[in-house]
Amino acid sequence: MERIKSLYLHVPFCTWLCKYCDFNAYAVLNGLIPAYVEALSAEIRASARTFPLGPLETVFLGGGTPSLLPEASLKGLMDEVRELGLQPGTEVTMEANPSNVNDSNAAAWLAAGVTRLSIGIQSTEPGALRFLERLHSGEEALAAIRTARRAGFRNISGDLLYGIPGVSTNRWLESLEAVIDAGVEHISAYELTVEKGTRLGQEVRSGKVQMPDAELQLEQYWAAVDRLDRAGFSHYEISNWAAPVFPSRHNLAGWHYQPYLGCGAGAHSLFRHDDGSSERRWNLKGPHAYIRRVLTTGEAVEGSEVLSAARARGEAAMIGVRLLDGTRAAQAFPVERKRLVGAGLLTEHGDEVRLTRRGVELANQVGAAFLS
Amino acid sequence: MSTPTHLIRAISVIAHVDHGKTTLSDRLLEYTGTVAPRDMVEQVLDQLDLERERGITIKAQAVRMLYKADDGNTYQINLIDTPGHVDFSYEVSRALAACDGAILVVDASQGIEAQTLANVHQALDHNLTIVPVVNKIDLQQANPELVREEIQKVIGLPAESVIFASARQGIGTKEILEAVVSRVPPPTGDRSAPLQALIFDAKFDAYRGVVTYVRVLQGTLRPKMRIQMMQTGKSFEVDEVGVFRPVRTEVEDLSAGEVGYLIANIRNVRDSRVGDTVTDEARPASAPLPGYRHVTPMVYAGLFPTETDQYQQLKEALERLQLNDAALVYEPESSAALGFGFRCGFLGLLHMDIVQERLEREFDLTLLATAPTVEYRVRLRNGEEVPVDNPDHLPDPAEIEAISEPMVLATVVVPSTYVGNMMELSQERRGVFLNMEYQPGDRVVITYRMPLAEIIHDYNDQLKSRSKGYASLDYELVGFEEANLVKLDILVAGSPVDALSMIVERSKAHQQGRRLTEKLKTLIPRQLFEVPIQAAIGGKIVARETVPALRKDVIAKCYGGDVTRKRKLLEKQKEGKKRMKRVGSVEIPQEAFMAVLSLD
Repeated sequence: MERIKSLYLHVPFCTWLCKYCDFNAYAVLNGLIPAYVEALSAEIRASARTFPLGPLETVFLGGGTPSLLPEASLKGLMDEVRELGLQPGTEVTMEANPSNVNDSNAAAWLAAGVTRLSIGIQSTEPGALRFLERLHSGEEALAAIRTARRAGFRNISGDLLYGIPGVSTNRWLESLEAVIDAGVEHISAYELTVEKGTRLGQEVRSGKVQMPDAELQLEQYWAAVDRLDRAGFSHYEISNWAAPVFPSRHNLAGWHYQPYLGCGAGAHSLFRHDDGSSERRWNLKGPHAYIRRVLTTGEAVEGSEVLSAARARGEAAMIGVRLLDGTRAAQAFPVERKRLVGAGLLTEHGDEVRLTRRGVELANQVGAAFLS
Repeated sequence: MSTPTHLIRAISVIAHVDHGKTTLSDRLLEYTGTVAPRDMVEQVLDQLDLERERGITIKAQAVRMLYKADDGNTYQINLIDTPGHVDFSYEVSRALAACDGAILVVDASQGIEAQTLANVHQALDHNLTIVPVVNKIDLQQANPELVREEIQKVIGLPAESVIFASARQGIGTKEILEAVVSRVPPPTGDRSAPLQALIFDAKFDAYRGVVTYVRVLQGTLRPKMRIQMMQTGKSFEVDEVGVFRPVRTEVEDLSAGEVGYLIANIRNVRDSRVGDTVTDEARPASAPLPGYRHVTPMVYAGLFPTETDQYQQLKEALERLQLNDAALVYEPESSAALGFGFRCGFLGLLHMDIVQERLEREFDLTLLATAPTVEYRVRLRNGEEVPVDNPDHLPDPAEIEAISEPMVLATVVVPSTYVGNMMELSQERRGVFLNMEYQPGDRVVITYRMPLAEIIHDYNDQLKSRSKGYASLDYELVGFEEANLVKLDILVAGSPVDALSMIVERSKAHQQGRRLTEKLKTLIPRQLFEVPIQAAIGGKIVARETVPALRKDVIAKCYGGDVTRKRKLLEKQKEGKKRMKRVGSVEIPQEAFMAVLSLD
């Protein structure tokens, strides 16, 4: 099995569950945090014995809201991670809710070893924040960036959403502008997506909320592409932009189909076997079940799927084409490549392919072509 | 111990669809102890899964029952269950040829309907004794007395011969059996005469080869006998003879009057032709029995495998199916758009639907069917006449002198309230009114002469929907008639798609072209590029619609767990595409090829 150099840790707790979110997150379970952190540490320890793990190049604490973790819990967790071995300059990202970013927390995160902060700003527009049920104001979100910077973070990412009902393209660009002005190294801008089983999903189905049409979504997307380009950000993945040398190394590893271990409730892992096949594995989603299982058996696997070498190549290509600087992942698919080039969705550059503008808009069609 | 000839009866049950003939057959099996009540699966005789699911009978089935009658004798009653749907009247005709009598089932609330009449006419053509039964008398809306009067007036059977029954509740079962043994004549054959046995059905058994269903009319059929098929001249040695009770049960012999099966290591399905006569090679009969009337397909359509490598499998499947479905005809066809497949002839749309479904289920194929069409006769300027069962094969208009299309005599039975609607519909469909007769129970029998092409295009559904489901239809082919017809071509993304062209009446051609392009626009999914859909007559575009290009198909997030989810989603989309046929660079779904059927 290929050595694993990326680790994902899932923290499934939130103060409030926003109506559009379908991540594995739970509100009002804060009382569970100590037991959960204990289980998560146990899973990391057990994994170190099972897998060829570390030294780590990237660590990512995602959620939920990992910035809710008490200082001691985070420190304990990071001590556990350090036991696996870290490379010099390991990227340690933590997702943070703007409401949790203050001087003392930021200092504690840095002290625990977090090197990169991904702040969930979403929007600075009051109507949009109300619609999204965010508990912070736009001003507070921008202040969070400045606070983190002041505390000493040198690598800050801002998460934003576009395609929000009632938000015009100009208003969207104002949010984007404000975040650029506040000074970040990285921006993720996601289209607001209606997921099944969310409250937003119900509202759309019942007709209470109407989502913007594809034309407007694309207008906002390409407007952002333009604006970020002018601000000197490089557009390296469909929804991600970075200042030079600041792409998310953790996410890049995933898009390059490198193996990673995911620990925590509902976390997914990718293993790569020597014969070219790959294996995806996922943990139990519910925190109670997760804790109980890890504390008795050391792991909490709910399911797994092995992909043959051929299917793994297809999956790698499906993900790889999302990297806009080009990918070699589609080398095994000359026929499909040719067809997609002919359809104007891809361009070829030696053994690399790149999505065209139209290819970006239809990236699923491109990805699907590589699946069997 | 074989039954003396005078105690043998062979009967069919005939009825309009849904009047309850299969349920009645089930009761007869139960009452005679042929099937123990605890083994009684509802609709024992309907053996195909498809038949049970759809609640209809497609194939005739044959079962032997023993019945101890009030006169103290034990009779052998051979029961052949028949389908009721108009498409399968050929099966009915085959079954009736092997019988001496028929139980006519009429629904006590629906009364006589179009196929009731058609079936009665067929039974009378075969000189059968009819035992009329008014079924479902337990229903609240039942009016058995009125239906009895109808049977007397319309069919001419004496009212006192009518038996009231409820197959669901088992009322009247004994009376029916008594009527069968007392009214239906015994067979007249001679057991020691040279063998004459009529083949009325056949099916393929993977282990034993062809199982041939026969009725012995003269002589005796035994194992070890060398038999000859009188039409094909082929000989075989009989391995086994038996009867259906209702499972296959071996017997010592089948003698004059009896119904059963024979197995003779027949490997090729063509060697056991329905309608052929089986005789004794050593002592042949002087002449074959009159065969069945030759079956004429009513509609033709192309069947193509969606995966081109399934062509050979499809060919073998059709061969197998044809053994069991004598009405199916086919020949190889190739389409520029769809590749290699078969042009098939069917008895009607239900038959076509069922053949396609049986091929897919029983032989694990994925098929694409083109829109059904009738067979035209084209007279060329050079005097030659050619049949055309595929619109794309219509000769160049410059060579055509005239085109004739098949005409039918359509009989519609409908409550008088809906007569206006029926006439309106039939006139829209180029029907020529012939006759109208009032019947007891406020019902009207209307006859029209109209093109078969109009009937296959949704006529029956329209009939039902414009009469709240009360109208019923039967039709028979009455010949060909010249008409002013043109070929309507459909171009998708600029190229003509042969499988979408159709032959239409000139005066309706523009309108049909417009409707078809509009319909196709809703059926062809958005593609990577804009897809124009055009209708053309003789090279001139008469209608155009455009399927806009797919605008956006991209997910915003693709991390960890999203990947598996995304891959599964895309794989599912891809699976759906397999049901489509790629024509040029456009994916066209099955429904698009059927669009012409429902343009109104």
